[in-house]
Amino acid sequence: MQVANRREWRILTTPLVGFLLLFLGFPIVVNLVYSVSDVTFETLRSPTITGFSNYIALLGEGDFWRASWFSLRFGILTALAECIIGLALAIFLAPLLAKRTFLMAPMMLPLMVAPAMVGLMYRLVLHEFVGPVPYYLYEWFGDSPTFFSVEAAFWTLIVVETLQWTPFAFLLFYMAYRAVPDEVHEAATIDGATPMQIVRTIDLPLMVPTIIVAFFIRFIDGFRVFDNVYTLTGTGPGGSTTSLSIYIYEAFFKQGAIGKAVAASMVLFIASFAVLFGLNWLSSRKSKGARA
Amino acid sequence: MLKSRTPILTGLALLTAALLSASAAQAEVTVLGWPGGSEETALRAAVEAYNAKGDVAEDDKVELLFFNRDGFYDKLQADMAAGSDAFDINLIATYSIGRYAPYMEPVDLGAGAADVFGEAVLETTQFEGKQYGVPTDLSLHFMYFRQDLMDELMGDEAAKAKYAEIAEEYLGEALTPKDPDEWTWDDWAATALYFTKSINSDSPTRYGTVLQMKNLLFNMMVFQSLPRAYGADWMDDEGNITVDSEAYRKGLELYKMLYDAGATPKDSLSYEYAETNAAFAAGQAATALQWNAAAGELTNPETAPAVAESVGIVAPPSGPEARADHIHGLGLGLNANAKNKEGATRFLQWMATEDAALLYAGNGGSPALTPEVVAKIADERPDLVKLGDFAGKYGYVMNGGTSAKALSVYELQAKEFTGYWSGQTTLDEALANTTAGMEELLK
Repeated sequence: MQVANRREWRILTTPLVGFLLLFLGFPIVVNLVYSVSDVTFETLRSPTITGFSNYIALLGEGDFWRASWFSLRFGILTALAECIIGLALAIFLAPLLAKRTFLMAPMMLPLMVAPAMVGLMYRLVLHEFVGPVPYYLYEWFGDSPTFFSVEAAFWTLIVVETLQWTPFAFLLFYMAYRAVPDEVHEAATIDGATPMQIVRTIDLPLMVPTIIVAFFIRFIDGFRVFDNVYTLTGTGPGGSTTSLSIYIYEAFFKQGAIGKAVAASMVLFIASFAVLFGLNWLSSRKSKGARA
Repeated sequence: MLKSRTPILTGLALLTAALLSASAAQAEVTVLGWPGGSEETALRAAVEAYNAKGDVAEDDKVELLFFNRDGFYDKLQADMAAGSDAFDINLIATYSIGRYAPYMEPVDLGAGAADVFGEAVLETTQFEGKQYGVPTDLSLHFMYFRQDLMDELMGDEAAKAKYAEIAEEYLGEALTPKDPDEWTWDDWAATALYFTKSINSDSPTRYGTVLQMKNLLFNMMVFQSLPRAYGADWMDDEGNITVDSEAYRKGLELYKMLYDAGATPKDSLSYEYAETNAAFAAGQAATALQWNAAAGELTNPETAPAVAESVGIVAPPSGPEARADHIHGLGLGLNANAKNKEGATRFLQWMATEDAALLYAGNGGSPALTPEVVAKIADERPDLVKLGDFAGKYGYVMNGGTSAKALSVYELQAKEFTGYWSGQTTLDEALANTTAGMEELLK
């Protein structure tokens, strides 16, 4: 549909703008006020504006930076792992799945479990006395690694997150791979290209936009991780597995530092916005490149 | 068509009206309870009995409300701060009364309450000298141990020699095995080391003990009785923070020594209540300092078949200053925004009577009762006798342990102490950070 004039454009966009103002604008304004206020549970309705002291305190706090660093590493590593494994599975399993479509269902199963339940499940699975993994490792090798030590907890969390969310990346890549026309593959085969050459020079370049989108979606999800980390390791020994979301939760509820928690959530919001802008810029750049 | 629908719609309207009026008539006092476990079962039984009483007005009938146990206190705080009147009575705990007192009203339980619970137990639900509720369940810690293993050790001279050798190596003193009821914390540590496979290859268990070392406030409650036995407190009478003390250093170092020596599972830094139970029930740990609530599970042949028959229970070991057992009570108090304060108060006063307390105990609850009252239920609930005995003799609450920020103090200690145990910070750093944080929280 084409918009004829400015009046029509205004009429058509009014519901969207109204929706955004109501459901996004209002909480943002309230949070902005709280983030520059001295506020507790007792003074939620009458906060005292104190300027940027919450932001200054936050940026000067080691725990905040440790949580940010944890979230950043966690987001990048899990997104990378999920995309690499998902991509490999999509390409190598595509011929099988084209013939046996019912196999898609079990592959999607991890997505059906709530993240908090995944955390609880792995707490049991990796428990030294009731968990099957340590049990069989002891049976076969006489010892088992410590899955929740300070050094190993981070990697245990990475593996658990990757196991749960790789099917999501796989699904996106599989659909993108299937969208590549068969004729292109056939032509390349007739020209003598090997399967690896076809993947490297035809499939992957055509799938780049999907790969970028999948990476950023998974990165944002990993960056703001809460449920499975909180149920699996809590905040970790000495706060070593505290993500930014967990930091905000702890500051808000456990410490009652509402202004600081809200300021941290504003920082998280701005960071997410920056990532979305980056994604938008990359996508539009790619589209322009494709048109040229 | 329209005609045929009319009776159906009228019927639905009447049914809805009947349901609404019925629920309004029988639900005038709402109690927000602690969901899951023995507390919920006991509370349900008590409410059922109360509602069946002939002298309870329809307007005072009680209905129960529960929400998830995970993050219960956070949600409760948010509701109360928002001025919610969705419940008339809410859960309270010794360590969180200060946090919720601004949204609650003190309650008069009547003169008979002291005869049922005793003054010391009533104090677990008091804040700034005022009674904020009726104590329903008492929580403290038991030292669980394997009686069969201890009997073997005490009757074997070669084992005793090995025990002394291990104690000399790790604790600097050649200790001899003792009856668990006479243990000092060093005796317990020596026993834990002796029953550790990696230290003593003859040990029938993989670990000598199982420590709850996860960064979790409840784990700090379990730990505190060790430094307390050496004279630890949070604050002195002038309000100075006193955690950077020899007592806390001794406790923290002993835990770290046991962890580093492998006397507790390697994953203990992620352990809390459930993991501790699992380790002990699996028969792979010789001792465990654990909440009294675990007694039912660990001594039940159905839930702990490997160890149930041989579990011994004593109070936590002693130190040079005292034998100390962390104590806190769960209870029920009056929401300041309650819609039916009179009815709610009547229910709380009934809960403080002997009949109600015995009914509550008979249905799985753990009220701390005076010796005269508990004697009436001793055959049915022997653990309650120990509970009352230990609470009376060794129970303590840290100075500042009922303040508005008590939970935050435990959170802070959990983070700093686990940081030390896991080797991320030094003992000096952990204690300095804890002191600085507590000065801020308790100022």
